[in-house]
Amino acid sequence: MRTFAGDLYLLVAAYGLALPVSYARLPVLGQGAFVAVGAFGTLLLAAHGTPLLIAVATAAAIAAVSGYLMGFAATRLAGASLALATWAVAWLAYVVLVQFPRVSGGSQGLTHASPARLLSASLGLTVTLHPWVHVLVAGGISVLMAAVLCHSASGPWGLDWAALRTGPTLADSLGVPVQRRRRALLAASGALGAIGGAGTAILIGVAAPADYSPLLSLQLFVAVLIGGTANWWGPMVGVALLAALPSTADNLASAMGVDALRVRAVLTAALLVLALVLRRPAADVLRRLTARWRRPPAVTYDDTETAAQADVPRGATVLQLEGVEARYAGVIALSDVDVSVRAGEVHALVGPNGSGKSTVLRVATGVLAPSRGRVTMSNGRPAPRAGAAAPCVAAGVVRTIQHTALLGDLTAGVQTAVGARARERVAFAGLRHLIASPTARELTRSRQRVAAGALTAVGLHQLAAQPADRLDSADQRLLQMARALATGAPALLLDEPAAGMAATDRRRLAEVLRRLAGDGYGVLFVEHDMALVGTVADRVTVLDAGRVIASGSFAEIQQDAAVRAAYLGEVAEEREPTDS
Amino acid sequence: MSGGVLLQAVISGLSVGAVYGLVGLGFTLVWSLTRVLALAHGDVVVASVLVAVIAVVGRTPVASSPGVADSVLLVLLTLAAGIVVAVASYAAAVRPFLDRRHRSADVLGWVAGTVTTGLVIRTALGLALPAAAYAVPDPLHLDSVTASGVVHLPGGTTVTVRSFAVFGVAVVVALVIDWFIRRSRLGRGMRAVADDVDAAALCGVNVERVVVAAFMLAGLLAAIAALLDSPGHAVAVDSGALLGLAGAAAALLGGLGSSRGALLGGLALGVAQQLIASSTHLGASWATTLPLVVLVAVIAVRPEGLGAGRRVVVE
Repeated sequence: MRTFAGDLYLLVAAYGLALPVSYARLPVLGQGAFVAVGAFGTLLLAAHGTPLLIAVATAAAIAAVSGYLMGFAATRLAGASLALATWAVAWLAYVVLVQFPRVSGGSQGLTHASPARLLSASLGLTVTLHPWVHVLVAGGISVLMAAVLCHSASGPWGLDWAALRTGPTLADSLGVPVQRRRRALLAASGALGAIGGAGTAILIGVAAPADYSPLLSLQLFVAVLIGGTANWWGPMVGVALLAALPSTADNLASAMGVDALRVRAVLTAALLVLALVLRRPAADVLRRLTARWRRPPAVTYDDTETAAQADVPRGATVLQLEGVEARYAGVIALSDVDVSVRAGEVHALVGPNGSGKSTVLRVATGVLAPSRGRVTMSNGRPAPRAGAAAPCVAAGVVRTIQHTALLGDLTAGVQTAVGARARERVAFAGLRHLIASPTARELTRSRQRVAAGALTAVGLHQLAAQPADRLDSADQRLLQMARALATGAPALLLDEPAAGMAATDRRRLAEVLRRLAGDGYGVLFVEHDMALVGTVADRVTVLDAGRVIASGSFAEIQQDAAVRAAYLGEVAEEREPTDS
Repeated sequence: MSGGVLLQAVISGLSVGAVYGLVGLGFTLVWSLTRVLALAHGDVVVASVLVAVIAVVGRTPVASSPGVADSVLLVLLTLAAGIVVAVASYAAAVRPFLDRRHRSADVLGWVAGTVTTGLVIRTALGLALPAAAYAVPDPLHLDSVTASGVVHLPGGTTVTVRSFAVFGVAVVVALVIDWFIRRSRLGRGMRAVADDVDAAALCGVNVERVVVAAFMLAGLLAAIAALLDSPGHAVAVDSGALLGLAGAAAALLGGLGSSRGALLGGLALGVAQQLIASSTHLGASWATTLPLVVLVAVIAVRPEGLGAGRRVVVE
């Protein structure tokens, strides 16, 4: 019973670690440190007379705050620095425990009466924490975690997590608050790790430094890796294997006559190698198995349903760049650029390669801060502070990325629903979804309506249930637009939406662009295909070497000497500068 | 703290720090070319020297000074082991998780791969060497530069002559490597790949070869660091992990991607550590935690290290 309770506490810690590793794909190597904080924190506080439950809560809170702070290390380097930071923290915790006996009680560790008793003077109640009480507590937390993860997969949390684990940059461009979500997951991870540690320490009545070496962090990491990506049952499988490890190691060790701890390390290493080798194939097999009984989305995609009209008056300016200058590491990429987008118009941004077209979109969506000039969004709001795109989406400007970026194998419908999350203004939507509140149910329905409408607007409603990586490249481009459309931002910035499209697809795209303008959206798109620009654009702005050299209708642009010079070098004798 | 103690701490700090610098140099080199953080680099350091010791002296090493033939053999084997282990870890644990441009693609993959490599190295050595820690013989005979093995300092304190020798050799090695990266053909290839993989490949640089060469160089540096560092104290099988993290701290202090920065960062870290160790208020326990605290603090403030001025636009 005691061993089983201990394994269940390990499972609690593994569920904690699964949040950042399995659900957000963050490399976290320091869960053992949080477990140690829970174990030693609780016993230290209890030794100083703090009631046991308050001690556990305090230790969990400390771990949660540390986890939250750790999230700041996950900002750049695509999370790689988080691996280093957490690995350092795993060792730091161990070194502190070994080097400072005042904290850890030396190699003997800290002790506590076992079985522990909970006393409540006001209620006159005494609860003795027998191992079976621990089994109930740890088992209860684990079951609760499994239920939460299973249920939230289809809710707001699940959508956000799926987006930020498959493509953080893309998730950001669709309005998912990536850093906030990551920090929240890391904080929850720390708290659960600490609870697991505290539970174990109270259960066995002792916490000794040797049990909290970085090997524990690695074991929890391997348990989560074995569980695969975003499976609510994953940690159970991983910890079950891990739980079988000590007895197996001891048997092997006595049979071979070697140190049992060494054998445990060998088996952990073997499990890690196995998890690494089997990661991809196992995921493929699982995907094929689950595809059979994965329910189709419960939305009917009605042809008559259209995207919601943009809620800005026609002709209003939805995006304005004034006198913008932008630099990359000192090199001036844009200087004195003025571009504006009005609701109900299609505005094309053209220019030779390297003229700064994509940079305009980066500045407009807050990815790059302008070194001079002003960016205003719809209703004359100033642009949010640059650094992430998500705040700009909320302020009404969204963009697609030049290369076809997909959120992995999520279906087209789910990917569009991620975009639709951006227009939701409900506090604690994830929690409400968990308890299936009426608000949350209404939110789910409206999200599905928006997603369906956006897919219909680009003509992809038939393919909503298709995994996006199985769509052809033209449909993938259109899906990008549907996702952006679903965010509800009135200014749609499209970076080369026609790249790689065949002639028939381009006609489809032209129709879609015109229809969006008709629905009241302001579209700014970067394009090289002058035939397409001529068909759909109300206005054209031409960039060359970071400056606007011409702006006006397509016909005016065609006649412009500076434009022809930029495209053809010296002005040619003959006319018809067709660019393809 | 008296002047003599201060001087003693600074000199032994420079010696410890130079070793951190060499480890950090390999770490920074690997990062610049592949954007992979070599989490097993410290284990490569320990593995290189212990493999050589097992081969030459046996599984129960003795600290007695080895003869000329054994010394040469130990040095050569250590260098070879460092290179082989580093390249093997690249092939097994890093390469599968890079994209076709040899840049980090699957972060979770190489993180798991490199920590697995470290764990495999530690457990393999642990199985081969049953005792907790070993005194490693000194094939370079750095203690016998002077007869007494110690140098008397003005304040009445002494430092081992090995401190001076370690510092000198490490700095010379670091300068040679720095020169190699800046001047040699292969070194220029490395800088080209670090700066822009695609452009380098278009200019005819064989990226795979350059990346493997960088791992070999990192392994070589690890082995040299091991030869300089190990004979000074007892070497435990597990001590590599902490040494690697100290090297990482050195690399981040100097800014990831800067070879001179790694050496300077290492020296600063080493001196700070020895000053803390010799202070009466703090002592050895705090000194042990310093590299880890520095590492976490630097990442919290600037994930790419203090010296890295350039902000890369992520996209």
